[in-house]
Amino acid sequence: MSLSPEDLVEMYRKLLLIRCFEEVAFRLAQEGKFANYHGGLGQEAIPVGVCHGLASSDMTMITHRGLGVLIARGVTVKAVMAGLYAKAPSPTLGRTPIYHMAEPSLGILAGTSMVGSGIPLATGAALATKLTRRNDVTISFFGDGAVNRGDFHEGLNLAAVWNLPIVFFCENNFYAKSMPLAKSTAGGSILARAYGYGIPGRLVDGNDVVAVLKATQEAVLRARGGEGPTLIECETYRWTPHSTAGDREFARTAEELAEWKARCPVKRLQKRLLEKGHATREQLKKLDQGIKAEVQEAVAFAETAPYAAADVGLENVYR
Amino acid sequence: MSVMTYSEALNEAHRMAMRDDERVFVIGQDIGQYGGIYRVTEGLLAEFGKARVLDTPISEAAVTGASVGAALLGCRPILEIGFVDFVGTCWDQIVNQAAKYRYVSGGRASVPMVIRTACGAGLNYGVHHSQSLEAWFAHTPGLKVVMPATPADAKGLLLSAVEDDDPVVFFEHKLLYAMKEEVPEGKALVPLGKAKVRRRGKDVTIVAWSRAVHWALSAAEAVAAEDIDCEVIDLRTLVPFDETAVVDAVQRTGRLIVCHEACLTGGFGGEIIARIMERAFDWLDAPPVRVAAPDIPVPSSPPLEAIYLRPQTTLTDAIRTVVVSERH
Repeated sequence: MSLSPEDLVEMYRKLLLIRCFEEVAFRLAQEGKFANYHGGLGQEAIPVGVCHGLASSDMTMITHRGLGVLIARGVTVKAVMAGLYAKAPSPTLGRTPIYHMAEPSLGILAGTSMVGSGIPLATGAALATKLTRRNDVTISFFGDGAVNRGDFHEGLNLAAVWNLPIVFFCENNFYAKSMPLAKSTAGGSILARAYGYGIPGRLVDGNDVVAVLKATQEAVLRARGGEGPTLIECETYRWTPHSTAGDREFARTAEELAEWKARCPVKRLQKRLLEKGHATREQLKKLDQGIKAEVQEAVAFAETAPYAAADVGLENVYR
Repeated sequence: MSVMTYSEALNEAHRMAMRDDERVFVIGQDIGQYGGIYRVTEGLLAEFGKARVLDTPISEAAVTGASVGAALLGCRPILEIGFVDFVGTCWDQIVNQAAKYRYVSGGRASVPMVIRTACGAGLNYGVHHSQSLEAWFAHTPGLKVVMPATPADAKGLLLSAVEDDDPVVFFEHKLLYAMKEEVPEGKALVPLGKAKVRRRGKDVTIVAWSRAVHWALSAAEAVAAEDIDCEVIDLRTLVPFDETAVVDAVQRTGRLIVCHEACLTGGFGGEIIARIMERAFDWLDAPPVRVAAPDIPVPSSPPLEAIYLRPQTTLTDAIRTVVVSERH
């Protein structure tokens, strides 16, 4: 797809929105407002770049670090924030962490807590779209921590032998909690695993939203055209610890973090917008203010929303 | 009515479900040309084609997860897992995904899939091909658990399972596949959650399911000559559990035996007895009894496997003890 200035400004708006959401959510979790948060700060280009070109009927399998995807796919910030607070307006009604939410009407498949176990499920969504001749594509997100799970290997294999319309999207932030990639992943490359299953692999700068979008669109086009799955590896870095639940940082260094912060996905697109004259500083400032207000409004909404009534805990186990 | 085997009845249920609803497809290892280990899916490939009869690699986690994902998008997969012993390889997809989707989505998503799987000992297959693991599934809210004992029920319950909007685990006992009986024509659905009284009696209620129903009927026949009148209830589904049927029977007979092929500890018999103690304690004339396998893996050689299958032989003595001891 060719990118219009409007596309770029819209992607910037989403980047900013997710950035602001991530900052606020992480702080609130640290303050003990809700149980835990797996921050996606620094990785915002991925949800924005992947989701920008998707059709509303395309499916996305999220991860525990996937709240940006929810926002990028159209779940309101209010609903996501209520989800973090586990309040009644949460899409999960407060029954489970928000990253387990499923909203088929927005193409959102529930993430799981078993890293990588969403991969087979996403493969099944792709199977269903193929069997029912829907022209939709499924994006299966996972982190570098998932690539040594059997679910990853089994899912890629099945999707490849059945030529399913799916994009396997690895957000490689180089650490699975405290485990560095180099110590966990034989062969030294996630990308290389694509070739083992006879599918194309693409390595992408995960902090460049336009690069993410272009790589995704190429893979989505292939999938929609009946040419089967692609594995995309996006290199990125989380700016916060694994979660707010007292995670100790010992494997990651301050130098490494500084290096990645210099590659901030928000600033990179901002620079591009200003240089190309797609927006003025004044316009971007106004955008920023609006987003901050939107996120603050969501916090106030979640703070004051009630918990679901106790009966809700007993419902929807069976039809 | 026509006489057919349990396998044939299941095959007919597949054909009916697939003819009536194009969302239904079957998926599993060796189910297409090969026709399934137990010939349950024989001929489906010829009738419905490879888009609805999906032969899979040996890759249980992916195949189970893919079935869940397809069900979420509105398909109605019938997944065959050849032996229930293999569920360890796809357990996460069943208990953490299939069973919980309706709940986590606030009721906006559902997983209408059936997992068909074979259970049971008696063929000297050993520790990885002989277990009865129904209690594992019954302990997971969100799953339904079905265990037909006869060809007619196999057909009627499978038809109901396919139409059900929740994930259903459907246990087929390996030693029942060859059993023959008259099976109703047409789409004779047997509802989930309704037990069936297989034999009326006044002295003791024996609750059983799957192959153990036949042990209970044989034992009831054997003690009839001793003037002991057994009621035999075939539970048919563990989840939903037809508590009312068991309570009613115990209120009439005053005595309860639960007989199952699975091992004793943590077996579903314990759950049934606990419910009866809570709901019908005052009607009991004797302590309830479980007749179950010893707590061992299922061994292979005929004499060792017979030790595991002891409920088959010890049930009659258990009946005598429960009934006669209380007559004094």
